[in-house]
Amino acid sequence: MSSLLDRRVVLVTGKGGVGRSTVTAAMALLARRAGKRVLVTELGDGGTDYSALARMFGQDRLPETSAPLTDGIDGSLLLPGTGLELFLTALLRFGPLARAAAHSDALRRLLNAAPSFREMGIFFHLLTYLREKRPDGTPAHDLVLVDMPATGHTLALTALPAVLLRLVSRGPIPDALREGQSYLNNPETGAAYVVTLPEALPISEALELAEGLKANQMPIGGIVLNRIPADPFTSGEKAALGPLIESNAWYGADGFRRILESQRCSKRLVQASEVPVLEVNESDRTGPHLLEYVADSLVAGVPA
Amino acid sequence: MKLPDGASPRSLAHLTQHARIIVCCGAGGVGKTTTAASLAIAAAQLGRKVLVLTIDPSKRLAEALGVTRNPPRPVPLPDRYQAAAGIEAPGSLETWMLDPKLVSDQAVRHFAKSEEAANAILGNRIYQQATAIVAGLHEYTAMKALHGFITEGRYELVVLDTPPSRNALDFLDAPSRLARFLDGPVFKLFLPKEGSLVARAASRLVNRVMHSVFGHEFATELTQFFAVFSELFGSLNSDLQDMRTLMTGPDVGFVLVSSPSPEALTEAHFFQDRIRQLELPFAGFVLNRSCARNEHLSFPDPAHFAGGASAETVSAVEKLKVLARASHLQSMRDKGVLADLALRAGGEGFAMALPSLDGGASDVGNLVALAKTVLDERRSGPR
Repeated sequence: MSSLLDRRVVLVTGKGGVGRSTVTAAMALLARRAGKRVLVTELGDGGTDYSALARMFGQDRLPETSAPLTDGIDGSLLLPGTGLELFLTALLRFGPLARAAAHSDALRRLLNAAPSFREMGIFFHLLTYLREKRPDGTPAHDLVLVDMPATGHTLALTALPAVLLRLVSRGPIPDALREGQSYLNNPETGAAYVVTLPEALPISEALELAEGLKANQMPIGGIVLNRIPADPFTSGEKAALGPLIESNAWYGADGFRRILESQRCSKRLVQASEVPVLEVNESDRTGPHLLEYVADSLVAGVPA
Repeated sequence: MKLPDGASPRSLAHLTQHARIIVCCGAGGVGKTTTAASLAIAAAQLGRKVLVLTIDPSKRLAEALGVTRNPPRPVPLPDRYQAAAGIEAPGSLETWMLDPKLVSDQAVRHFAKSEEAANAILGNRIYQQATAIVAGLHEYTAMKALHGFITEGRYELVVLDTPPSRNALDFLDAPSRLARFLDGPVFKLFLPKEGSLVARAASRLVNRVMHSVFGHEFATELTQFFAVFSELFGSLNSDLQDMRTLMTGPDVGFVLVSSPSPEALTEAHFFQDRIRQLELPFAGFVLNRSCARNEHLSFPDPAHFAGGASAETVSAVEKLKVLARASHLQSMRDKGVLADLALRAGGEGFAMALPSLDGGASDVGNLVALAKTVLDERRSGPR
């Protein structure tokens, strides 16, 4: 995981229900253990949504701008509106146009509703955090973690710089997009991790997502194979149990089949994946204990 | 096949027989698409003409049903698959697993006054990129397609699998967001100068900001995009009104799909509140991948194998007992969850458990098994 900790920005992706927020929070914990200043973020619209990520730190939702969540870990939503406002203010300085723009309800509504502006706003909000410095010139946050929502959004956001650069090549927007790319698309500073489960469908989707990210020039740190069930059986026991499971209606048959499927799927993933696979075993721990456990597994799971 | 008399009006079986539109909502990863496909199969088995409409579907579901992704129009299941799914005439099942880009291109062609106008927008670079990244257009086009199918009357039932999004009801809000944007005063700021002094001043400001920030090249193309688009979707607002009327009709049912995980359930509760707020017809909950109905199972007993069985068999069954206790505990828990959902559904809706199946939607046999569970449900409420 040392490579994870040397990066400036890490996107944690994967479809719903795979434990993405837990992995994001565990990565934050790892970075904090290494003495890093960490910011955890997720995409937000400032609405009534509850946040699984914020719950990991005992809060209902992340703050709208960077604020401490717990000792050494800050949190913030990435908001389209805030990002665009920050961008406009930085660009127009404090001239009359900036003041007028900042107070223009029409402009704000336009930017919130128009195609691709939402992604752009989120992108700029993230970029603002990456640029932020302390008085001594070091980054305000060594590592910014982004808990990315559904697959479609992840691909849209990572494709955004290239897509927009095709539309417009000169001016402040392309400059900002290129700056963002210099963090995200450089394997030294940026990486995406894909979280998935040891089941057939999630693994196919994780591999598809990894392909998509690669096509968007996004470096991939690894695939996190989460919640691998423990296997108490010897291979002889499994062979003996197979036919009995089929001919009896037993409690526990589902658990047994899950173990077999998990092993089949893990093997397939390791063979098909071009990037490291980090394994995290299933655990019935909860809350902070679960985070510690997942963090330890991520460290242990890094192939030599 | 016919549904036995006495199916409760508050059941998924009743809904599959009588509804014209079923909308499956839920968080990502709960098996929404699988549920939608199973409901469609169940309805077709009852002799209905059914379409299942899925946006951005997984490859595996398409493979399980023997259809291709992204065809230009709905396709019937190949005969072999119809037979495997137990569908006989007059029942039929068509699927449309569609690519949002394709649908919006069709919408553009449909709305455009001339072929030139259509080509102008299809060739606009902002449009080309926008359909890939804009939220709202996908949802709008899905609703549009749905509306078209229903008014044409080609199907007796359309099952809509809502697109995956953080907020699964976004798809309802997104089209009106797009409409507000395209038809609202904000959008008019881009169009040739008209209106009051204030409006013109605002328009000038927006244009100055756009040009200085985004550059002339981009701002010009954006203005062109808006101008063409506003013309195209001039009828959007009245369409949305029609769609709303359609979606609130008496023969429409919104089915909330959830898995037993606490996160998914929290979201399901949230969706139910949103559905109520939006005054949409809530039909009930589906608790997917649940072990709530495992009463027929028994505990493995090593004593049973004491004579004759190999040592490995005995030790394996001994170890299986640990898994059995966990799985028994899980089914108790899921039962509680199902009872809670039934309470939440109240007098208006059902709570129905569907089992977890190995391989999920990757196999037509699994979908048929789920369809059977749906039709076997003859009583309301949880069991």
